[in-house]
Amino acid sequence: MKKRTGKAILFFTPFMICFFTFWALPFLYGVYMSFRKVSLTKGDRGFVGLENYRALFEQSSMYAQDFLTGLKNTLLFVAVSVPLLIVIALALALIVEALPARLKSVYRTIFFMSYAISVTAVSSVFLWLFNGNGGYINNLLVQAHLIQKPVPWLEAQPFAWIVLVAATLWWTVGYNMMLFINGLNEIDGALYEAASVDGAGFLKKLWYITLPGLRNVTVYVSLTSIIASFNMYGQANLITKGGPTQSTKTLIMVIQDVILKKNNLGVGNAMALAMGVVVMAFALCQQHLTKEKKELKEVGGNGR
Amino acid sequence: MKARRVLSMILTAAIVMGVCAGCGSNSGGETGVQPKQDEQEAESTKEESQGADKVQITFLNGFTGGDGDYMRKITDGFNASQDQYEILESQEKDHLTNYKANGADMVVIQGSELYTYMADGMIREVSSIYEAAGLSLDNYVDAAQDIVSLDGGIYAFPLDIHPLTMFYNKELVAEAPATYEELAALNTKLQSENKDVYAMAVPGAGLSEWYYMMLAAQNGVEFEKDGACNFATDAFADTLMKWHDVIFVDKISPANMGLDGEFTSFAKTADDVTVQSAVALTGPWFYTAALDVYGDNLGIAPVPLIGKEQTTYAGSHNIAVSSSVTEEAKLAGIAEFFRYMYTPENLLNWADAGQTPVHKETLEQIKANPEKYPLPAVNAEQVVNAKIAPQVYNVGGQLAYLNETIFGRIVSEENLTREDLMKELEKATEIARQVADEE
Repeated sequence: MKKRTGKAILFFTPFMICFFTFWALPFLYGVYMSFRKVSLTKGDRGFVGLENYRALFEQSSMYAQDFLTGLKNTLLFVAVSVPLLIVIALALALIVEALPARLKSVYRTIFFMSYAISVTAVSSVFLWLFNGNGGYINNLLVQAHLIQKPVPWLEAQPFAWIVLVAATLWWTVGYNMMLFINGLNEIDGALYEAASVDGAGFLKKLWYITLPGLRNVTVYVSLTSIIASFNMYGQANLITKGGPTQSTKTLIMVIQDVILKKNNLGVGNAMALAMGVVVMAFALCQQHLTKEKKELKEVGGNGR
Repeated sequence: MKARRVLSMILTAAIVMGVCAGCGSNSGGETGVQPKQDEQEAESTKEESQGADKVQITFLNGFTGGDGDYMRKITDGFNASQDQYEILESQEKDHLTNYKANGADMVVIQGSELYTYMADGMIREVSSIYEAAGLSLDNYVDAAQDIVSLDGGIYAFPLDIHPLTMFYNKELVAEAPATYEELAALNTKLQSENKDVYAMAVPGAGLSEWYYMMLAAQNGVEFEKDGACNFATDAFADTLMKWHDVIFVDKISPANMGLDGEFTSFAKTADDVTVQSAVALTGPWFYTAALDVYGDNLGIAPVPLIGKEQTTYAGSHNIAVSSSVTEEAKLAGIAEFFRYMYTPENLLNWADAGQTPVHKETLEQIKANPEKYPLPAVNAEQVVNAKIAPQVYNVGGQLAYLNETIFGRIVSEENLTREDLMKELEKATEIARQVADEE
């Protein structure tokens, strides 16, 4: 037994080293810095208690204004992008699964391919497509007589958000689709056959078999999509640079500015931790709601 | 079975050692340029053995564009001429972050940021190095002297001043407009021929700071008040509203031109969905791209007089020395490098990059050869009295709200009133004060 424990320790030691080196220690150091007055140039100037956190919530503080701007923008992006990332991914998964077997892998690859592209390349393509002055989309829409004058896609709202959400969907929806496809493959085909015999149509099968069967995958997809959307940085930084007038400046961009431009590591770390709390609150809410539904189902199942 | 167990243990040990080795290499190296140094040394064993005998001086800069090769020519030239000292140059995109975190012996810093680095104790006073190099402030144009003179001392060696410059399309513009009235007249003519061609385009982002600062400089607007920028003044509000009028009243520029719109519209050809500008007030770093588009039809001129006094806004590269450099041998090597660099023969390499050196002797040679140095020759006139951003603590942070929000509103909101603007300027002033208080 002792020999086996020793071997186990040997095997998980590499993971623990990586975990502490690249996650636990930086995290704890971040927490430590959030209670101190630290800058890249002046170094650590001592313990300041909750001062850095107070700066995030005191209305007159520039950091509070920055934090609020970033949080509002990020929440808006999460609210718009997450439902689309789930619904469109599910729709694509259903379409791909309905294709003849030899076409399935082709379309699965096509839809997933965009996920393998770097955010820099994705942003370059979308910049070219949606350039307000002579961009491809404007050319297309004007020539098709759908609009009379070019749309300032990147220079005015709500167009800038539309472009960022479209870029995010195009880039990442393939990954969620693959997860849904795996989930669909887990559902017992006999259930669909039995439902067909009972005369159920597409919508009834979707509602009573597919969606319940995908519940766990959906929970995972929505959780990872929420976290990814909170962390949105590359697209906004490269396509809109946070503009117009800071309206697409996300929380991560704000944190970067506080640390690098305002040279305040203490407040930057406090902001990052506050953001972590917000993301965790979302994750817990979602877990709570899912758990409730599961319990209801169990109660319903016992009653039947 | 036993062999498999031994193999798995060896593999595990290898992974653990690999991780530890990785950590070791990450934590090693006192300066951020160490990896680059390692690469360079790996390239040539001979150089490595020679370099070991020399005093090595690390030099960090952000010349990652086309100008990087020309700076490399200067440092390589110095290294080749030396048997005592060696410059280890590192060109990095975000070199100042690296400098803040890891340091270097010499670093290139924008003139407007010198004050911050001085206040944070990251750069040293360099009068003694000037003396050792046989140089004095008189070797540089007045504007450059002002930039590096702080708190009664000298904190850097001026390399160049890169001012807002005017490029124009000779096919559309017969003679470079020198005043706002001439710009307006040009616009009337162009618009009468093609409604998609404008005289100029005001960008929504990118060079926004350069636009309002250029006009503020021409209008004599002063910002500094007790170490912070005061934006809430009538003079500055009028300056900003002038750009609003350029777009929405005089219609010399289209609205919503976005990031780098001044140049992207200049480089395009007008059609139903594309507007074109005949003139671009932009940074000299767009010169090569402009030349690619227009070739011999590219005109270069000083920015026109839009305000009250002919001047322009500029950035400036300056070489500062780290406050951590105290070793006599290293200081002597740095002085030797500046003695080498500040000769027309060597500094003209920097003019080859399209930059305008502010070393008077070199500048004279540039003026004498306008055909060889077309852009620096035009800018030689502009750098003499160019203005830079206020030298206050963390000027980038103080200007951030103006750059990211206010100017965007100026160029996109037709109904923006002066009252709305003043409220925003008061907010920007309060932010600037808070940034300054962090000194």
